[in-house]
Amino acid sequence: KHWDDDDEVENEVDDTDDIDSEAEYAAWKLRELKRLKREREQIEEKERELAEVERRRNLTEEERR
Amino acid sequence: RRFLDERGSSGPLAPNGLNPATILEKAVRERIVDSYFYKEQCFGVNEADIVDRVVEHVDHIGGVTGTVQKPTPFLCLAFKLLQLAPNDEILEEYLQFGGEKFKYLRALAVFYIRLTRQDKDVYLKLEPFLEDRRKLRRKGRNGVSLTYVDEFVDDLLVKDRVCATSLWKMRRRDVLEDLELLEPRVSPLGSLEDLLEERDEEMKDGEGGGMGGVRVGV
Amino acid sequence: MQHQRNVGATGQVKKATAEEVHARIEALWQRQQELKREQVITLQERLEVRKE
Repeated sequence: KHWDDDDEVENEVDDTDDIDSEAEYAAWKLRELKRLKREREQIEEKERELAEVERRRNLTEEERR
Repeated sequence: RRFLDERGSSGPLAPNGLNPATILEKAVRERIVDSYFYKEQCFGVNEADIVDRVVEHVDHIGGVTGTVQKPTPFLCLAFKLLQLAPNDEILEEYLQFGGEKFKYLRALAVFYIRLTRQDKDVYLKLEPFLEDRRKLRRKGRNGVSLTYVDEFVDDLLVKDRVCATSLWKMRRRDVLEDLELLEPRVSPLGSLEDLLEERDEEMKDGEGGGMGGVRVGV
Repeated sequence: MQHQRNVGATGQVKKATAEEVHARIEALWQRQQELKREQVITLQERLEVRKE
């Protein structure tokens, strides 16, 4: 089977699940938390940008007066 | 058979408006059709046979590997799926019934859905599997590494390039939420605020929070 | 169907239905479970032989 001539390499990384369910859950929870945190930061960034746009708009209105 | 030939291609477009024949990059497509795996395992294969091939031959995800840029069986089968254009009902079988049993089948299905479905549907179909913590081998330029179904799904949702493929640019989730095309996603862990509160209480109790550097100014 | 052929990708291959896909998944799963059971049995047999 020529297409998997380098099979041995793949065996170095074990992808068997449920070896240590608790640790696997904890690791997942950490990944999920990082995703939630990233989402939160994106929203905050967006809000900051909106506030900045608002601030500038107010500035120009005052200058107009 | 001349799926490769994109000139004047009159085939149906994918639901996201892309031409399935050109979703993978040209150089990659050429390497796929030249590969032994494609020639010997992807000929005369239908939507059910795909499952056989995944179960038999896919033990890692990835794009192209090695100095010769050999396409992985995973990518060859994704290419095959682009030709077969399985309907949503079949994709649901790959994702759910099949995906529970065979994790690499789910990985293939989420990848294919990301390539061909509209952004809103990509979020709806893929996000539930951010809960799937099963391990996946990933073969890339830096050799073989370990990833997880949830991490692969996240990559598909946020990265530009996955498995030697440039992903088409989806609108961001919050944009779709503002357009009321999507409801905010609810994590199985609950909201970040609750989690942080929980952690703060643990800290007070002197148990220490194990959540490594989650600091958000609320 | 003619249209599908004109598109050219699948040639003469008959398209599968979702039911067929479901059945295939089930069959492959059963076969895999069967193989696992056999492996366990042969392992047990080998252990038995060693005891004797």
